[in-house]
Amino acid sequence: MKSSGVTNPESTETEKEVEPHLIWEGLDKKLILTGCAADTKEDVFRKVGGLLIREGYCRGSYIQALIDREKQYPTGLDIKGVGVAIPHTDASHVIRSAMAVAVLNNPVTFELMGGEEGETVAVSVVVTMAIRNAAEHLDQVKALLKILQDNSVLRELTSAKSPEEVISIFRRKEEAV
Amino acid sequence: MKKKVIVACGGAVATSTVAANKVAELCKENGINVEIIQCRISEIKSHLDGVSLVVPTSRIKQDLGVPVISGMPFISGIGEEELKKKILDVLKT
Repeated sequence: MKSSGVTNPESTETEKEVEPHLIWEGLDKKLILTGCAADTKEDVFRKVGGLLIREGYCRGSYIQALIDREKQYPTGLDIKGVGVAIPHTDASHVIRSAMAVAVLNNPVTFELMGGEEGETVAVSVVVTMAIRNAAEHLDQVKALLKILQDNSVLRELTSAKSPEEVISIFRRKEEAV
Repeated sequence: MKKKVIVACGGAVATSTVAANKVAELCKENGINVEIIQCRISEIKSHLDGVSLVVPTSRIKQDLGVPVISGMPFISGIGEEELKKKILDVLKT
């Protein structure tokens, strides 16, 4: 639990790991899947979680932790008709913070974050946030959400054919700001 | 008087951190003295004493006996201005 004031990025900046200023600069090509074939959200978690584990960002427990968390607290978002999901789970399963992107061949059903039980959204882009310490990464999470709130970016991501293309879509959006 | 606001999500990791930051900024801009408690949904009940408002970014099934306003617009960006107004309405009274 944290209380009052919540965060003060200025005061902690010097002592914490230096994070990239822009999302696209921090994206690791090895953590981006395009044309990802998955029938269920669990399939997506196995694939993306598998990458995060293989590349040393997360512990072996990460995939099951994602599955369990999503069941209890879903992360599907409907951004004006385009579905995106931002699965994440406890820091104890994360070694180093990272964001992994999966562009799905065919949409997969997610439950809506904050929605009623059974409220679902068809998701084509899944951005998994492996986060060690949310307070340290607040600016990044906010920046990521701001990008994903733009449904034209989501539409572009939906048809991205390569990790390089995914990164350049993020880059174009961030450079346009 | 200092108002107490609970901002909660499933794991108190990502979305409630963003929402808590936004509530803090909103209160600062509007000169509202606020204490924000960020916690997991499952922990809300143990922090309810003296709380004016609960802002969850997940669904909450039980009745908490205090005003609850969904913080989802802070995450999706849809309806964020209306959400800010609603929060101010509760905290300014």
